[in-house]
Amino acid sequence: MTASVVNPIAELSIAADTGEVRRASTWLEMACIEREIPPEEIRRLDLCLNEALANVIAHSGAIASSFQIRLHLNVSHDQNASEATVTIVDAGAAFDPLAVAPKPRPLTLSEAEPGGLGLLMIRSFADKVNYQYRQDRNQLTFSVLWTEHGNG
Amino acid sequence: MSTDISFEDVSENFRHISISGRLDILGSDSIALKFTSLAVAAQRRVVVDLTAVSFLASIGIRAIISNAKALQQRGGKMVLFVGDNAAVIKTLEATGIDTLIPMFTDAAASDKAALA
Repeated sequence: MTASVVNPIAELSIAADTGEVRRASTWLEMACIEREIPPEEIRRLDLCLNEALANVIAHSGAIASSFQIRLHLNVSHDQNASEATVTIVDAGAAFDPLAVAPKPRPLTLSEAEPGGLGLLMIRSFADKVNYQYRQDRNQLTFSVLWTEHGNG
Repeated sequence: MSTDISFEDVSENFRHISISGRLDILGSDSIALKFTSLAVAAQRRVVVDLTAVSFLASIGIRAIISNAKALQQRGGKMVLFVGDNAAVIKTLEATGIDTLIPMFTDAAASDKAALA
């Protein structure tokens, strides 16, 4: 879509600590409400944010954990659809989560291994996901799309 | 945004466990030990009521799977009661958990399945 930014970008920096994830969720919810993003799209963004941050914090390592994780929210609209995008920038070792092959789904509870669902949830709930490693930083971007008629 | 867990024993080996609030990292951590202690016992049948869960992240699902497996290994059984909680239903369906742990929108049906 040839989107034009009509709302200012919201930003937040958090420590690479699991205790910060809920603060990030609260920031995202408030920023989305201010921009009149529909509740279902906020929920999808929040799920992706939680899973992505959990992944970043778990794999960031000692050096990266001394850096702040930066979060950006961008919202754009065109005549066909609206789009909200969250970008997570961290200083951990380069890691492309999109390069990880999805695990085969277990057929029974006995086969199920707890864990590994975060990436599946991001892939399921985001309409777009992108990863780049630029200037020694991981940049994971995920977006949700919706229309005024609600078929996001 | 607190996360709470409570239980009611319907009979000696049949327990209802109710969870409310956000099952994100903080919320799941806050109830993890109690959830396991309430759910996992030999031959126990458990209905986990998720109707009041406002947010279900993968760490919450991880706790559910771990306890359901541990319960199964001890001869017990867990089912999920979700009511009309669309957010939780979508997450369980997207991750395929509903195919591993029986999920019901009807309370009576969840009780019946737990005891079957």
